[in-house]
Amino acid sequence: MSKKTFISVLLILLLLLSACSVGRKSDNKNSGSKQNIFGTGGTRIRIVSGSENKELEPIIEQYCKKNKVTIEMTYMGSVDIMRQLQGGAADFDAVWPASSIWISMGDTDFKVKHTESTSLSPIVFGIKKSLAESMGFVGKEVSINDIMSKISSGELKFCMTSATQSNSGAGAYLGFLSGLSGNPEVLTKEDLQKQQLKEDITNLLSGVDRSSGSSEWLKTLFLNGDYDSMVNYESLIITTNQELTARGEEPLYLIYPYDGLSISDSPLGYIDRGDKKKEEAFLDFQAYLLSEEVQSELQKLGRRTGYEGVFEENKGVFKKEWGIDTDRILSPIKLPTADVIMEALNLYQGEFRKPSLSIYCLDFSGSMKGKGEREVKEAMDLILDQEKAKELLLQANPSEVNQVIFFNSNIIDSVIIDPSTEEALNELNERIKNQSAGGGTDMYRAMLEGLITLESYDLNNYNPAIILLTDGESGGRFDYFKTAYEELGQDIPVFSIMFGDANPEQLEEIAEYTGARVFDGRENLAGAFRSVKGYN
Amino acid sequence: MKPKWIGLIILIVAMAAVLGYFLIAPKPVDKINGYLGGEKIGLFEDENFKKEMAKKFSLEVNYRKAGSLDMVKADKDGMSYLFPASQTALELYKEEIGSPKRSEIILNTPLVIYSHAMVRDSLQKDGIVYESNGSYFMDMEKFVTAVKEGKTWADIGLPQLYGSILVKTTDPTKSNSGNMFAGLVANAMNGGRVVDSMSVHKVLPDLKDFFKKMGYMDTSSADLFDQFLKIGVGSYPMIAAYENQILEFAVTNPDVWEKVGDDLCIIYPTPTVYSSHVMIALDDKGDYAIDALMDPVIQDIAWKDHGFRTGISGNQEETDVFGVNGVLSQVTGVMPMPDFRTMDIIVKELSN
Repeated sequence: MSKKTFISVLLILLLLLSACSVGRKSDNKNSGSKQNIFGTGGTRIRIVSGSENKELEPIIEQYCKKNKVTIEMTYMGSVDIMRQLQGGAADFDAVWPASSIWISMGDTDFKVKHTESTSLSPIVFGIKKSLAESMGFVGKEVSINDIMSKISSGELKFCMTSATQSNSGAGAYLGFLSGLSGNPEVLTKEDLQKQQLKEDITNLLSGVDRSSGSSEWLKTLFLNGDYDSMVNYESLIITTNQELTARGEEPLYLIYPYDGLSISDSPLGYIDRGDKKKEEAFLDFQAYLLSEEVQSELQKLGRRTGYEGVFEENKGVFKKEWGIDTDRILSPIKLPTADVIMEALNLYQGEFRKPSLSIYCLDFSGSMKGKGEREVKEAMDLILDQEKAKELLLQANPSEVNQVIFFNSNIIDSVIIDPSTEEALNELNERIKNQSAGGGTDMYRAMLEGLITLESYDLNNYNPAIILLTDGESGGRFDYFKTAYEELGQDIPVFSIMFGDANPEQLEEIAEYTGARVFDGRENLAGAFRSVKGYN
Repeated sequence: MKPKWIGLIILIVAMAAVLGYFLIAPKPVDKINGYLGGEKIGLFEDENFKKEMAKKFSLEVNYRKAGSLDMVKADKDGMSYLFPASQTALELYKEEIGSPKRSEIILNTPLVIYSHAMVRDSLQKDGIVYESNGSYFMDMEKFVTAVKEGKTWADIGLPQLYGSILVKTTDPTKSNSGNMFAGLVANAMNGGRVVDSMSVHKVLPDLKDFFKKMGYMDTSSADLFDQFLKIGVGSYPMIAAYENQILEFAVTNPDVWEKVGDDLCIIYPTPTVYSSHVMIALDDKGDYAIDALMDPVIQDIAWKDHGFRTGISGNQEETDVFGVNGVLSQVTGVMPMPDFRTMDIIVKELSN
């Protein structure tokens, strides 16, 4: 090889290496969340963002390639972003939640500045067009009460993110409360105490046939499953429709309930700690997002932007036949005050939402001895001790059902509590603390036991889920479980939280098969639980 | 030459060199930090402003954004100044902490209402807004009565808008523009007379209802204005904010202004109140920063590029340069704010 060719080969290798480093994934030890990293520049901007911005990654990547900057995107729900801010958000340089309220409610020591809305998207119902037509929703003004009556009659079921986890869920839920309270000027604490509202909202939320912790994942779930309707951002429903039509499937028709509409304004703000260089880099990135070129890109992803509305060239993205009209004025409800919002979220978690039916399969096999066993007990304590659970907005709803299946290669024991009173939850917690580990492992056996429990309940009334707490190393056979799962014919996600010397391989297989996810409980247990509970 | 003379000469040359270095080298820039009302961030981020401050005064003025009333109570460790948007904040400072090292009014801007052409026109038909010489004015007493009666947007011919007629403001218990608007509304409810610590009790129930209708309120007038511009008429039919904000926006974003300038409009409440942006020095550096901000060149930047009226209120100013319709060259019909004790009663009532 001549010297010249050798150098060019070397250069190509270097280029390839740097190309590989774009969009790397890494774990953040402190926040325990997965993050996506773009660029290789010396100045690093760490952004905590709502999951809906995952769709903007190509735009972010393009920026990082051209500029000497590294951008780290960590995705969290809006309530968690608010909590991060309240705790100082030491792991982040910028926040990018779906709505401004989470910044103002979280930024109690005024660290956030340069906040600018990057795009807008209303939170809407996307309903299969044929169903929307048969319900008489097409080309008509639809109210929250119209939607509720279709839920009561059993015509409509929908997927929605958890109100205590995600902005789209919270926004939609506050809209429901307002519409069901007879459109007060603004929702108050007194409204929340009314018996009629409690009945109506519980009824409305009984129409939720699948919940999710994040808006982006709800879209994925929707596209992989067989559902009729979802509540999500207009932008994510537009991109869902783009994919549905590409597949030759029926698109969703968008409904903007006139008495319960919320709008997300996607504000990007800088957390000031006096680093001038970082601040300049942030402002440059923000200016890029607000440039006409990028705003046009955002419109292509179904977001509304800017001062003067949708550009002529992008009018085709917002299709009339899908029920979208960008010339129509969007008039959202007024958001209630911060204390009313927090009260409403607590009521959602503890009372109004469709009760969950959670089957926890706890691995007490020999490989869990010591560390793994201790971690599992700590985890269950966090969710069963209602004082601790409430802090995380994870408290139990009394009408929910909890089952714990203790397993090794056999079923060691199984306890069901129904209703889930605080006393019963405490007893269950004690029982778990007294269990010790030993023996072989067969998690499929435990999951099968869970299915047997589920068969005895009317699953229309619950959000069911099986949750494995394990190191993931198991004998036994998956195909036995699969046969029984298909026999039951219900949409039951099997989530896993990993502990001990975790091996995700078998767990990923189960998650994929059942439309669920695998979380790591060793680094950020609260985060893992909040994620799992967001899905039921 | 004797060796000891050589030593002396070397010493003198060395001393001259060191002295010369200090005379020629630029003065080191002093960095200071403080709390700033969001509406003045545009000025503090202005490159010309920064350059002038560094060149003429060797100052680099950093800031943290905070509401005018919030900043008085915030942790002031390492801070050299507070720069709220009102004298109420200064009064609060005196009440809570004591006499400041120094305080001066640096900038002035009246409180105004921003709206969209369709809303303004409907309010004009209804007699709440009137026009005179190309400027628009809102009769505060008529407006307050309409809000109290629960008149809806649909009632004045705007069924596209949700709920009843309202101006959105920042949180009056935390931020100055909302606080001043509360004072203005209280006066209007008092038949156009300035409320005092006695008469205020008469209007408190209605005042509380007025603000309760707004629900969630922002704490920064800069954020409120940004949302007003971007989210549109459906969410923000009208907001109360500072006059300088639209002037600054039009100067900094001429392209955008060309497209939206006919829809966005400025309405002067009659009477209105002046926001006097007063700087409170917490230490010597803050004291020095006050001198710097009073410099004519800085004051000129503040008016021409950021819309802050700098002279004493009532000064005749050239306003055509901004390209914003209906800006008054002289703001008359200005009413004093209720005094600090009265505002304190109002804030306490609205906090509950």
